[in-house]
Amino acid sequence: MIVLTGLNHKTASLSVREKVFSGCQEEKDLLKSLRSLNGVGEVLYLSTCNRVEIIANVEEPEGAVKNLSDFMAQNGGLTEREAASCIYKYYNEEAVRHIFRVASSLDSLVMGETQILGQVKDAYRQALAQNATGVVLNRLMHCSFRAAKRVRSETAIAVNPVSVSFAAVELAKKIFGTLTGKKILLIGAGEMAELTGMHLITNGAEEIIVANRSLSQASLLAEKFHGEAVSLDALEEKLIEADIVISSTGAPAYIITADLIRKIHHQRRNRLLFLIDIAVPRDIDPAASSLENVYLYNIDNIQDIVDENMNVRKKEAIKAEMIVEEEITRYVSWQKEQESVPTIVSLRNKAEEIVKAEMDKAAGWMQKLDKEEQAKVDSLVNSVVNKLLHTPVAALKEESSEFSSKDIVATVRRLFRLDE
Amino acid sequence: MSLISLELILFKIALIFCAVSTAGYLLSLIVKRIKLAKISTWILAVAFGFLTVNLLFAVINSSGIINPGSREFLSLCAWSVSGVYLALQFKTKTRILGVFISPFILLFMIAAAGQESGKYLLPQNLQSWLIAVHLFLTIVGEALFIIASCAGIMFVMQNRMLKHKKLSKMSRLLPSLNDLDRINHICLLCGFPILSVGIIAGAVFAELNWKAVWLTDPKIMWTFAGWIVYGFLLHQRLAIGWKGYRMAVISGAAFILLLLSYGSVRFCFSTLHNFI
Repeated sequence: MIVLTGLNHKTASLSVREKVFSGCQEEKDLLKSLRSLNGVGEVLYLSTCNRVEIIANVEEPEGAVKNLSDFMAQNGGLTEREAASCIYKYYNEEAVRHIFRVASSLDSLVMGETQILGQVKDAYRQALAQNATGVVLNRLMHCSFRAAKRVRSETAIAVNPVSVSFAAVELAKKIFGTLTGKKILLIGAGEMAELTGMHLITNGAEEIIVANRSLSQASLLAEKFHGEAVSLDALEEKLIEADIVISSTGAPAYIITADLIRKIHHQRRNRLLFLIDIAVPRDIDPAASSLENVYLYNIDNIQDIVDENMNVRKKEAIKAEMIVEEEITRYVSWQKEQESVPTIVSLRNKAEEIVKAEMDKAAGWMQKLDKEEQAKVDSLVNSVVNKLLHTPVAALKEESSEFSSKDIVATVRRLFRLDE
Repeated sequence: MSLISLELILFKIALIFCAVSTAGYLLSLIVKRIKLAKISTWILAVAFGFLTVNLLFAVINSSGIINPGSREFLSLCAWSVSGVYLALQFKTKTRILGVFISPFILLFMIAAAGQESGKYLLPQNLQSWLIAVHLFLTIVGEALFIIASCAGIMFVMQNRMLKHKKLSKMSRLLPSLNDLDRINHICLLCGFPILSVGIIAGAVFAELNWKAVWLTDPKIMWTFAGWIVYGFLLHQRLAIGWKGYRMAVISGAAFILLLLSYGSVRFCFSTLHNFI
């Protein structure tokens, strides 16, 4: 049976996650020690900054899950109460659903983020390298990748950005097409401005100018981007060069007025200008928004876009959950088919044993026949046995993929006395 | 199979591909999927290929370039617009522009299909290589202006959405402002000299054959007015540095105005250009 135990950002605080994360990380040969736990067959260990989880295929679920979660709690140095409150345990279909949702990024802190699938794949690769997984977990993981892929391609869950800085990059792309060769002017050396500037640079923007009241702080930030630092006095001159302006100073009044932009518009040769004002109180006169070829967004405007995108993701998540359910059904029916496999194998073995015993008995008189006739008898016996077995085997396979196969498996075992 | 029937089959195939591509473009606007527009662009490229071969056959079949049939003339219009549009796709990724362009191409194609084959466009007295040059260059020039104006109209739409600070599905579908402005720029830059040479070729022919009367022809006057508007726009762009919104608005408006005037002249006046 497949079981899953672990903790994530919803159940455990950052400090608890840290403890468990580093506790498990320190453990040498982690997968080996997990496999040596009582009752654990195949195992896979997944840890990211938001979750630590162990997925296992076990014989006797209750005991094995307890061993696994105790192992986690011990390594993380959690008290019994902490462990009880933050470690979750899933069995069977629930466990399958959980891992499918994790891989599809439905369980992530930022729903639809794209990193998690890579992390799950890495975890699986590690387990594979150490031979910690087998038929069941291999199949499970491949199915989870397929579910994740389908969610990605059939829904728009990961399409629109849901952070302010990424939304700013998207807006910049809608205005400029490509950011290659574009100049960015950061006014004020705030963290948010820095982050947005960073995203713009990774998307191709070439030059960054940092303007700040204190030149020393401007140089500090400019060094990070290999950019240029200027004081606020040079603002007008730099505005003429810039294509994208991100302003985040603590100034009480407008730093960039509509008149200033109107004045330099001619010198800019009417180039498109994207202004991002993330300061509160605002740095840029909202009247600038009505100027030709000027696009002004303040923090609320961008936040509105982010919220709207988040809503889209939530809507898409409903579709994604349906895809996950479909994939679970697929996996579970495979799993059920597997339940009947050992019975089918022992049924065939038993038949082969009988054939062998009877042929041995008949060896005496068979010697009198020539080679060709011996072969004919041989094939006759085999074909009778195969024809007899065909119907029960087919029925076992068919029934087990649709319903629980326990009843029919038990019946077959009793009928053919397979357990004696 | 004779060359003429082969030519007809090629034309029909091009027409079908063109219709499919237009439908694909319009659908991509409705369902807001850029992928459909990309596929439609490829379909249009196939249509363009068939049309090119069709026109080549037409040239071989006919008595020469100087005497085109009406169908060939209209397919040439479709060919130029789609050729210019496809060429632009190498430079910018603005597949969705096809939503605006492809209906024009399809209209030209349908009009061409409506013409009897073998009917000659020009009356006997107009058959000359100067007229052929005049026709070809004015068509290509106008095609470039059509695209410049479509890009302008899309710019105005995108600008409106960005100014309202909404990133809707529509806004995501439309190309970026910069790309649209660049298309407008490239098309004006190439279209203006081409149209100029075309008009001059026509004027030289007219001067040689008709002496003074032709200048008062209404269609010529309208074309001349359009030429001045685009010339003015190009001047503002290159010399004054107009960019973006203002260019987009004026080129869009100029285009609509020219379309209306063309319609009114076509139906209300008798002109020397009665064949188009």
